[in-house]
Amino acid sequence: MPDTLPDALANPALLPAGLRDLLPPEAETEAAAVEVVMAVFAAHGYERIKPPLLEFEDSLLAGSGGATADQIFRLMDPDSHRMMGVRADMTPQIARIATTRLAAAARPLRLSYAGQCLRVRGNQIAPDRQIAQAGIELIGCDSLAADAEMVLVAAEALAALGLTRVSFDLTLPRLAPTLLDEAGFAGPARQALLRALDRKDVASVVQHGGRLAQTLSDLLLTAGLAGPALARLESIELPPLSAVLCQRLAETVRAIQARAPSLKLTIDPLEFRDLPYHTGVCTAVYATGRHEVLGRGGRYVCGDDEAATGLTLYPDAVLRACAPPRLPFRVFVPVGADHLAAARLRTGGFATVSALDPVDDPIAEAHRLRCTHILRDGQAQAL
Amino acid sequence: MTAFFPAAALVPEQTSPLVLALPKGRILKECSALLSRAGVHPAADYLDEDSRRLRFPTDDPTLDVVRVRPFDVATFVAFGGAQIGICGSDVLMEFDYPELYAPLDLDIGHCRVSVAGPGDWIDTAETRSWSRVRVATKYPNIARRHFAARGIHADVVHLNGAMELAPGLGLSRLIVDLVQTGSTLAANGLRESEVIAHVSSRLVVNRTALKTQPEAVGAWIERFRAALAP
Repeated sequence: MPDTLPDALANPALLPAGLRDLLPPEAETEAAAVEVVMAVFAAHGYERIKPPLLEFEDSLLAGSGGATADQIFRLMDPDSHRMMGVRADMTPQIARIATTRLAAAARPLRLSYAGQCLRVRGNQIAPDRQIAQAGIELIGCDSLAADAEMVLVAAEALAALGLTRVSFDLTLPRLAPTLLDEAGFAGPARQALLRALDRKDVASVVQHGGRLAQTLSDLLLTAGLAGPALARLESIELPPLSAVLCQRLAETVRAIQARAPSLKLTIDPLEFRDLPYHTGVCTAVYATGRHEVLGRGGRYVCGDDEAATGLTLYPDAVLRACAPPRLPFRVFVPVGADHLAAARLRTGGFATVSALDPVDDPIAEAHRLRCTHILRDGQAQAL
Repeated sequence: MTAFFPAAALVPEQTSPLVLALPKGRILKECSALLSRAGVHPAADYLDEDSRRLRFPTDDPTLDVVRVRPFDVATFVAFGGAQIGICGSDVLMEFDYPELYAPLDLDIGHCRVSVAGPGDWIDTAETRSWSRVRVATKYPNIARRHFAARGIHADVVHLNGAMELAPGLGLSRLIVDLVQTGSTLAANGLRESEVIAHVSSRLVVNRTALKTQPEAVGAWIERFRAALAP
């Protein structure tokens, strides 16, 4: 066999870009955190459902799912010879279930879910391709109370993980397209203007904005803390449809503030990024000092015409922002120790690590196995 | 195991100063007057390119300044290492970081990104008939996008400087480069054939920083806006 150059990519530990192994204690921390979040959702009456990892492409991409088309891993079902896709987002699946299997269920329908999603590519700043989601959907109700409930329940779930320094950014992804529609922008001019708005590039907005230039520049400047920002927003004169959207944003902010006066809210009316299928007020969750979004949500149309709203938390990002939940103490159980005592400890929330063979120095062995305690005289003694 | 970031949320708010990233070189001198009008007064050696310091305190304890390569300003701000920065719109076009907002045109550092080629040949070249062209540039993305829009595939030779040498030494037919007066092109027998974009320096801010610290970041945008007013 001829000599070959060493292949740096042949290391068996190497994973494809954007994927990772979760080891102890991270894997357990993640599972525990997801359960904390799901317990809060359940306590608010959201019932858990579990769609499959992959399904037929047609159903995955129907309706609101179409927005994820370029992020879907596809494979052919050898059985039916139909194309299947791996979900990149769970909300379209929940919407499918709500309009089919649960079409007859009473409205408003409150559903929760937790699972893994895959996307074809990450980006330089957020390279992950496997993304965990834990979220809620409230289907069959177009009300301020429903919009507010999403934010309040998500805030409570984050607080249950000890994460209280969060802010919710409320946006109106339909506002920019509506304003441009009302002013008759189309074609390349519209694309250039939308792009400038997305980057808050005021110089380009002025360049491409035509008679909307002043209104759009003013709207860009309204972004900020909800109180003063709403005052600025309400001083701007808008065409009828756009004004209705902004009115709804203001009412949503007030509905949330009435229930949770201390929650930090910001608004950014012209933001429309990453929210391709959303129709009304949308939310992104941030933690001060962190550079990533902890969750996203908003209003969308479920199936053909049913009003729905939802919010998804990203447990990976949430865990990077909060102190991880404390894991159980690990108690070393030497050979010959009292197994009933060990069972009692497990009932009490300890994890026990049983010695399989006798050892000379049980304390050293306990340290070696990363235990925090040792079972002595029927008690867990801290090391 | 993933190296977890420190739990930044546990650190009290406003303990660490905001960071303003400034580009080394030509623009740094051009923007010093603007900085002082905006109330940014960094330690005196920030203009000294020989100083080994990279991070400078200012007279405002809530603001530090870092001095990095112009291309890196966008990267530092996009990743949130700096919350605010000053960089050319050429850099924004090249990297196209979605995490960057560009709320102000600072009206300094004017120049253009242009296509240039050998003076005796470029005027008669039938570019419309090309399928592909080899281009030397430090802007691979801008070059590819520009030619793709004309139906031409650009094979990019990525250089970090002295692009003007490339056509003469046979590395490429054309170059895509920053042009200020055109004298460097002329001195190397090249002629500008097309302006891709006019460039000026922009104030950039990190999107998440603007969302999570709207008061502090917004106040700096306002100060720069006021400093621009005639």
